[in-house]
Amino acid sequence: MIKFDKITKKFPSGQLALADIDVDIQKGEFVFVVGSSGAGKSTLLKIITREVEPTTGKIYFNGEDILKIPSHKLPILRRRIGTVFQDFKLLPTRTVFENVAMPLEVVSRKEAEIEREVASILEKVGLLEKASSFPAQLSGGEIQRTAIARAIISKPDVLLADEPTGDLDPKTALAVVELLEKINDDHKTIVIVATHNSQIVDHFKKRVLILEHGKLIKDEKQGKYATS
Amino acid sequence: MRQANRTFKVMRRSPYQALAATMAMTLTFFVSSIFIVLIIGGQIVLNYIEQRPQVIAFFKDNTSQNKIDEIITNVKNTGFTKDIKFVSKEEALAIYRERNKDEPLLLESVSADFLPASIDISVKRAQDIAEVTKVVKNQKEVERVITPENLVAQLVKWTKTLRTGGIIFVTTLMAISFFIIIMVVGMRIALRREEINIMNLVGATKWYIARPFFLEGALYGIIGSSIAILFIYALLLFYSPNIQNFLGPIQVFPIKPIFFLILWAAEAVVASAIGIVGAFIALYRYLKIK
Repeated sequence: MIKFDKITKKFPSGQLALADIDVDIQKGEFVFVVGSSGAGKSTLLKIITREVEPTTGKIYFNGEDILKIPSHKLPILRRRIGTVFQDFKLLPTRTVFENVAMPLEVVSRKEAEIEREVASILEKVGLLEKASSFPAQLSGGEIQRTAIARAIISKPDVLLADEPTGDLDPKTALAVVELLEKINDDHKTIVIVATHNSQIVDHFKKRVLILEHGKLIKDEKQGKYATS
Repeated sequence: MRQANRTFKVMRRSPYQALAATMAMTLTFFVSSIFIVLIIGGQIVLNYIEQRPQVIAFFKDNTSQNKIDEIITNVKNTGFTKDIKFVSKEEALAIYRERNKDEPLLLESVSADFLPASIDISVKRAQDIAEVTKVVKNQKEVERVITPENLVAQLVKWTKTLRTGGIIFVTTLMAISFFIIIMVVGMRIALRREEINIMNLVGATKWYIARPFFLEGALYGIIGSSIAILFIYALLLFYSPNIQNFLGPIQVFPIKPIFFLILWAAEAVVASAIGIVGAFIALYRYLKIK
């Protein structure tokens, strides 16, 4: 479903973020992308949404070359990919409900549908009671779950999560990844999690891609966190 | 509807920027309205003068009717005339008597022999008065010619100056409004950059992101031009007795409401176009999204 074909990304500063990445991810897979800071994890995820374009190589989504999608059709691709951003990207002036509703608003869904679907997703992530709260009134775990709710509200084929357990305590971090695993199980959504949380990676025993200085050094079906 | 509400909300949140943009639009279209009213008013005055006999040629006493007919044909042949009316000595006396009916002393010793026959000439365009006057003056049977040529020439000149000045002044004001819209929308984009970025990443189209800004630009135009029309309407309503008094027999008032409606519609269209194009430039300049 997602295929990286010799993807290389070199930034204008000369920094090599990714080098010759060949990866194939199938429908329903749960993948951890691990590596130390600057290893290229975030860049790899951003290439899938075409936030970042590779210097060389190709990337396919459902057999379609993402790089050949004209810019006016990019929103259609992005609606099929939910993203939990490293910095959450929740709007502080909007409530939890309004933040989560955003992907449905941008496709001009009806008010009643939005009400129903947002309520349902908030219930799923355990935030229904916080629907009227603003992000500043939430705990770290709640912020993360709000970001997840927004990422999955439009029922994407792929869910990308960039350091979703970043500043969370181990218990909350575990709960967050369990939620991602449930989404993966329930809807066969591809989940790709970029993280450097070794406990989490080792606990879930999922496919692990290990990046080091932009190179893919290991790709294991039920891998463990082990960077050199 | 949701986006319209959000646009209003954004405008309310930074009222001074919205106020600056609306005031610039109001001033621009208030001044435009004044110029439009002045130009139309000037045209009404010109039309009034054009409809009246603008050249009166008096004949010498012994001029035969045949010669008068020949002169009338010559004047007609210029192609500039709309109407030529012959006024005989008897008709001139009747006019004289009508005008002086309250002054018996002036009527006592006057007979038709004292008054000359004449022709009253109306021209098609005020600019042609000079040419017609020249043709009439060249006839040796014509003793005297009365013409408001200078007044008309002055009026034509003023109307032209008003039109040119108006166009320059209004264009300058429109340019100022245009740049203010670009600046205000540009600031809005900067303030909402994070939101725009998120919308872009969750699959909003460029059009969806840009729509509120176009709406905002158009709103400034519509609100500004509407306020301007209200001002000009109140101003004309208040000063109409004085203006009518100044214009005398030239009937300008009351101005039909349809005039204001058409003026408002035209200005609202132009103003919203300025707002939308301004917003477009701001979006093109500041909204760099992929």
